Order: sequence, then C-alpha cells, then structure tokens
Amino acid sequence: MAYSFHFLDDIALADLAFEAEGDSVEELFRAATQALLETLADPATVAATWERRVTNVEGNPADLLFEWLSNIVYWKDAAGVVFHDAELSVRQEGSSWNLAAVLRGASVDQTVQTLRSDVKGITKHLYDVRQEGTRWCARVVVDV
Amino acid sequence: MTLKTEMRVNRISDEVWEIPMTEKPGMLVPARIYATPGILQSMDRGVFDQVTNVACLPGITRHALCMPDGHWGYGFPIGGVAAFDLEAGVISPGGVGYDVNCGMRLIRTDLTLEDVQPKLERLMTELFRRVPAGVGAAGFIRLDRKSFDAVMMRGARWCVEEGYGWHRDLAHIEEGGCIAGADPSTVSDHAVGRGISQLGTLGSGNHYLEVQVVSNNRIFDPETATTLGLIGQDQIVVMVHCGSRGFGHQVASDYLKTFEKAMPRYGIAVKDQQLACAPFRSPEGRDYFAAMNCAANTAFANRQVITHQIRGAFAQVFGRSAEELGMELVYDVAHNIAKVERYPEGALLVHRKGSTRAFGPGSPDVPRDYQQIGQPVICGGSMETGSYVLVGTDRAVRETFGSTMHGAGRTMSRAQAKKSIRGEQLQRDMKRRGILVKAVSMSGLAEEAGFAYKDISEVVETVDRAGITKKVAELRPIGNIKG
Repeated sequence: MAYSFHFLDDIALADLAFEAEGDSVEELFRAATQALLETLADPATVAATWERRVTNVEGNPADLLFEWLSNIVYWKDAAGVVFHDAELSVRQEGSSWNLAAVLRGASVDQTVQTLRSDVKGITKHLYDVRQEGTRWCARVVVDV
Repeated sequence: MTLKTEMRVNRISDEVWEIPMTEKPGMLVPARIYATPGILQSMDRGVFDQVTNVACLPGITRHALCMPDGHWGYGFPIGGVAAFDLEAGVISPGGVGYDVNCGMRLIRTDLTLEDVQPKLERLMTELFRRVPAGVGAAGFIRLDRKSFDAVMMRGARWCVEEGYGWHRDLAHIEEGGCIAGADPSTVSDHAVGRGISQLGTLGSGNHYLEVQVVSNNRIFDPETATTLGLIGQDQIVVMVHCGSRGFGHQVASDYLKTFEKAMPRYGIAVKDQQLACAPFRSPEGRDYFAAMNCAANTAFANRQVITHQIRGAFAQVFGRSAEELGMELVYDVAHNIAKVERYPEGALLVHRKGSTRAFGPGSPDVPRDYQQIGQPVICGGSMETGSYVLVGTDRAVRETFGSTMHGAGRTMSRAQAKKSIRGEQLQRDMKRRGILVKAVSMSGLAEEAGFAYKDISEVVETVDRAGITKKVAELRPIGNIKG
C-alpha cells in the first residue's frame, strides 16, 4: 500500500490526532486526507452528489497540507457537507508546491451517514511534515 | 508527592501551588495552580509546561494561573487565566481558545421530575429535532451577510429583537449578551462562510444540551439558590454548553497566522507557536480583539437561539407556554474569552480559557437581581455525573482576576475513551441509570464517557475551599443531547 494512517491515543487529551505517511508527498496527502475524511464521517456511507475543485500553491509541502486540510474543514461548514473521497495531485514546480483536488461528498444527512466528530480546525500543535528515508510522514492534531 | 513535572512546585496553601520564576528561563511572573494535592498529582505535564510558558508572555501581571479543572490545551492550558497590562501586554488567541465564548447557559423551569419523567422520551426527541447537533449541522435561521453582521455586533440582543427570546433574558447574560467593540470588517469571508448557517446549533465534542434535576439534598446554599430561581423539590432545569462553532475557530486560526507573521516585527518570541500574540495596542491586536468580540457575540446569539428552541420544545410537549412553565434564564456566562476589566493595577486584559468569570456581590458587572449573592458560575460535569451552580466572590477578584473553574476537565484522551467503551453500550448503560441520551455520533458519545473526566465534585470542592467561588447547588442529569 502506498499510503497509511493511524490515530494517536495520547497526543491531544481533548482532541484527536493522527499520523499519516506515504511513498511520496502526493501519497502522504492522500493518507492525511483519508484520515480527516474518516474523522468527520464514514466515507462509505456518504454519497458523491456534491463536488468542489480546490487548487492551492504554497512554498513547501507542510504549508500546502495544512491549507488543504483546513480547506476541507471550511467546506464541511460552508457547504454543510461530509465527504466521500478526494481526488488529488501534488506537483513541485521550481520552489512552489501545487495542489489540484476535487472534493466529493454530500449534504449532511444523519439518517443515512455515519457521522463522527465535527472537526473545528487543523492546529499547528505538534504539526509536523517530514521525509524519513523514502517515506513522507505527517503528524496532525485536529481540534474537535 | 509525585508530579508530572521536574519543576519545583511550592505549596502556598492546601489549594494553591506556585511555580517560581526560577523554574523556566523567561518567566516574568510566578505561575499558580489551584488544586488539591490529589488533583495536582493527576494533572498532565502540559499544565506545568504551558502555565509557565504563559508566565513568559510580555506584559503579564501578578501570576499566570491555572484552575483545578486544568489540562493541556493549545498554547494556554485549559483552565488558564492571565491578565496583561493594556500598554505593555499582548493579546493571544491561544489564551482565549479556538471556540471563542464557549460558555454555559442555565434555564430554570417550574416543572418537577414527576411532571417530566413520563414525557422524557418525547421531550428529548423534540429537543433533538429542534436543536441541530453534530457534524455540519445547520440552524433554522437563514441569514444574509448584513444580518450576520448584525448578529456579530449585537449578539443576543439581535435575537431578542428578532423574537428569539425575552427582553429580560438579556439582564441575565454576561455583558447583556452583547460585547461592545465588535467590528465585522475585521472578520474574514472564510469565517463568515463557516458561521453564517450555524446559528442555533450545538456542534459536537464536549458540547451538549442537558435536562437536569435540582434535588433538595443537593442544594448547599438555599438562600442563594432561591435568588437564582432554583427551588429544589426535584425541579427541572436545562443546561446548554456550546460556543461560536466554526466561526470562532476560523477567527482564531486567521489571527494566529496574522500574529505569527507580526511577532518578529514587535520583537516577541514565544515558547510555543500556539501562543502567537501581538501587542494589545497594535493594529493586529486591536483587529483580533474586535473580531474575537464578533465571535463572542455570535456565541451569545447561538445560545439564545437554542434557548428559544428549548422553550418551544417544552411548550409543545407540556402544552403550556414557556412563560407559564417558568422558563427563565438563570444566567449565561463565557469560559473562553478575553476582556478588559479593572483591578487594583488598573485596566487589564484578562484572558480566560476554560475558566469562568466569578465576580463577587456588589460588582457593577453582576446583574441587578444577583447583586447580593455574586455572579452565577455554571460548571458542567461529564454527562454521566452532575453539574454545579456556584457564585463568584470578592476573593476571586483579589486572587484570580475574578476567575474560577469551568467544568470537570478531561483525564483521558478521546481515542482512549473510544477504545474503552462503545457509544451504543454507554447509551444503554446510561438509560438504565435514568439518563436518556440522544446523540448524532455514537463514537462521539463514547469519547464523552464519564470516566474520561475528572470528578467534578473534587474540582468544585477545591474552588469552594479556596474561596474563589461558593457552591450553591448540584444538578443531576436525566436527559442529554450530544452532537
């Protein structure tokens, strides 16, 4: 498997934290995205009737990931949706890191979706994106 | 005594402990923790690290404080209190909390347990239907940008003017439910986008709406309780815990970024990135204060709209108007906020993060109805135990910048709690014990299990014995709504 993630028990007492990793920056983004989507709701119970294209450019993978995850939280509130999946690509162009993504989901519906935690934001507490050998890893604490 | 810190912690009294300035380079004042020896020993390492980080912030006055329900937070510990000189001091979103004006509201009724018990299932279903909770929930009020600006500026007053409440409610809300100085132009479009549809929603996490009982044998100060409208005899009351939702969080996130960039310009270095701050008198500091007040007013409005819905639910289920049911607002008080207040040192900017204002009798900021007893303090326990009503004291004003505890305080992470019990099991267990729970998320319910929290009674005893608040009554849950 090119990416994986797991939730952390003892990092944030009142909130939730996860570690994500992948074979590349792009795979790391997929891992962290999946972790966040699963924190909000079970994606398997969410249809893909809502869609939003998101693009962003930052100077490094850490800032790009932080802004992308924050964007997901924004759309959750602004559009009142939870998510089925996200298709994304991450490219380095010179000193810039570019994200192009499509977020898919559906309006919140308690009768059909397994809803989980209402993430209020992505925090910088212990936030870390690093390369370990051939793997890219991130630790993310989310405020619930 | 074994503590989760290597720092020296000196006993000041049975309930007050001090970390001297020598224990961390850069401390400008000592740090003080209010706790019994047992609570102090149970406190996580973050409390000691973070309260001493706060003691290093420019312009801090007297002490950096942590209340007995304290635990690790972002930047400040939860339970943190710090006051700053207006000219030399800073303002920090990490000292307010992401959920600006997260707070507590208590509504009394003339109903008793005997009246409510036969209709409890129907009542909780109606409350669950009328008060949206959980991920992405939207309220029933549709606002355009102009109306949302009015909410930001006028808070609960806007609600009452629009028919979502009674004029006399305002007298029983901190600051009358409307803090001056809110300026919508300091709030990002992103924040507005997140908040505009959330008025009247509970959220999730530790936020809740709870139907509770006031029994005679759990009233500790009958005279004060009577003044608050709490008469015992298995009286039913309703407690609400929520704040400014995604809107307040976005305001905090936006200004953390602004402050991170601004700090080098002001020569400020902080021990923790989440303590990012700016001088209170700087343009960045002024803008955050104005935006934070927008979020604070929105939180007052949120709890006011929820109150309107609660009254509607009770009226429908019991077939009498909310006024006939005696559904008066006891009080509404913030526990995540920064405010300018006057102390012997002069005007100070007091940050309270997971800490409640607790002004004593006679304070001009205490409602006229409560002048003789002091400001009501509402503290929520876990959904399986009790909650408390207390009142503020002059001693709190002298010792803790008029501040006290806010709740039980967690001792176990959410991830651990979920591994310990399933939400469905917890819901069944609680029903057997007479507490009916309606929850959007079963995993979210498991995260809030009672064993994940400190014993609120010990926390309450600490602040009562320390004299910074006086306990009035304990409230026992019979119904709970969670996101």
